[in-house]
Amino acid sequence: MADRTDDDAAAARAVAAGRAAAARAMLVAESVTASSPRERRIVGILGTLAGFLSVLMPIMWLVTGLGEFWPVWVWFGFACAFGPYWIWQRVRAVPASQGGYRLYVAQAGLSIYVAVIVLVVWLLSGLGSFWPAWPLAAIAFLQLLHFLIGEHHLVGPDAALTERVDELTRSRSGALDVQAAELRRIERDLHDGAQARLVALTMQLGRAEQRLGDDVDPATRALITGAQEEARLAIAELRDLARGIAPPVLADRGLAAAVEALAKRSPLEVEVASQIALRPAPVVESAAYFVIAEALTNAAKHSPGASVRVTLVGTDDRLQLVVADDGIGGADPHGGGLTGLAQRAQALDGTLTVVSPVGHGTTITAELPCGS
Amino acid sequence: MRIVIVEDHALLREGIVALLRENGHEVVAQAEDGDGLLRIVAAHRPDLAIVDVRLPPTFTDEGLRAAIEARSRTPELAVLVLSQYVEPVYTAELLASGGGGIGYLLKERVGDVGGFLDSVARVAGGGTALDREVVAELMRDRSATGSAALDSLTPREREVLGLMAEGRTNAAIADALVVTGGAVEKHVTNIFSKLDLPASGGDHRRVLAVLAFLRAAE
Repeated sequence: MADRTDDDAAAARAVAAGRAAAARAMLVAESVTASSPRERRIVGILGTLAGFLSVLMPIMWLVTGLGEFWPVWVWFGFACAFGPYWIWQRVRAVPASQGGYRLYVAQAGLSIYVAVIVLVVWLLSGLGSFWPAWPLAAIAFLQLLHFLIGEHHLVGPDAALTERVDELTRSRSGALDVQAAELRRIERDLHDGAQARLVALTMQLGRAEQRLGDDVDPATRALITGAQEEARLAIAELRDLARGIAPPVLADRGLAAAVEALAKRSPLEVEVASQIALRPAPVVESAAYFVIAEALTNAAKHSPGASVRVTLVGTDDRLQLVVADDGIGGADPHGGGLTGLAQRAQALDGTLTVVSPVGHGTTITAELPCGS
Repeated sequence: MRIVIVEDHALLREGIVALLRENGHEVVAQAEDGDGLLRIVAAHRPDLAIVDVRLPPTFTDEGLRAAIEARSRTPELAVLVLSQYVEPVYTAELLASGGGGIGYLLKERVGDVGGFLDSVARVAGGGTALDREVVAELMRDRSATGSAALDSLTPREREVLGLMAEGRTNAAIADALVVTGGAVEKHVTNIFSKLDLPASGGDHRRVLAVLAFLRAAE
């Protein structure tokens, strides 16, 4: 038992880690805008042109008989022109969701740009007294101010948001795993506790009834058999309850076997192909099981006579399941049943898609993350 | 009759032992897990082993696996499996194993002492005792796959078919339905001709034919 619990806990941790990583990846990936091919082409042409001119100018200077080295001003002009593009590149490398940090990078880029221009102008204009000290000081002061404000008001909220997403992802997956473990514990307790006692009760009542002689008052015998019947009904109710939590074959044999059992019981012709490397966490197994069970029930209801193919593919970090039938199609993805299935998948940070063109069957695909 | 019992729940184990002893059976050994079953079967050569499905250490289908293993080592071993739930897959695996009597009953059936003792006697004698819930599942599955033959049975004939699948004899069926033995025989003949089953002698072969029909869906 202890080993099993440890395994479950390890699996749950792996699932939590996977979900947090996925959430972080979403935050970052969502907003990094890459430069378009057209933009790259234009920048490339302009760059080549500027490079060509930059080389041409010193040659012209040589040819026109030296004198003051004026090409440096041409170079300076090009640098000034490309500077803003360079800043824009740096800025948009920052995800839009981290707006505060983006602003900070933009200002830093601008500060460096202005500082360089001022210094170059000072250098080229023949040194002299160091007047750039004043603009540089102002730029540095503004940047410092932004840094101090941003630390608390601009960068802060985004970092906090990322952290909060991580935290919520962890706590939700933790809550789901705890819930799954709790449900299985309740099921075990029902089995070993209440159900077993009721079974013992029916045995004792049976033995009591057997000891009654033939001359016993019929009403007494009726009371005992009535009590036995009540106990039997209670046992049956507990059994249904336990089965609703997790069918025994799922807990005992895992998803593939449980789905095979579902397939056998379906009135439709169901083919199952499964390839599962590692047994997923109980919460993932249950969700997958109930999605497949519901999909098969729907198929049988709407397309009697259809044949169904169930495919399970489990890797270390995700479980993909596909239920495809060749029935009438036209299922409404926003109908009650399918919405419920989608919610089951979403609760685990998974996805569920329904493709159901009228007359061409229904394919339900669910992807459930189950580890890192 | 010499019986061994494997059940990890002390309260239930003691209840079954007391019940069997009160009715003249000899409980020669008891165990609490799957390995225990293999050990006491080898040591005592019982007429019947009564086994719980869920046993330590895994508390899953340990008992079932042990029962199948025991039957492969001792093919003539009669096994009565007790479970708190009906799982058609498990029943199918059990029926496919070994040659001796076989039973799969819900635990609460033990409370019906007369019926339970009948099942014990039947399984130990090489017969079959399937829980009526198991049979109901099989019938449901079979009719779900659209069996015209099954649909052609009258409600009464379906009832008789179910009782046959449970492994009951004609006399027991007559008792259960409160009809005469002759009436049962007539129903049985009708059922066999409607389902196109070979009219076989012997109760056990009859059960096998009925179960083969019901499980054809699988």
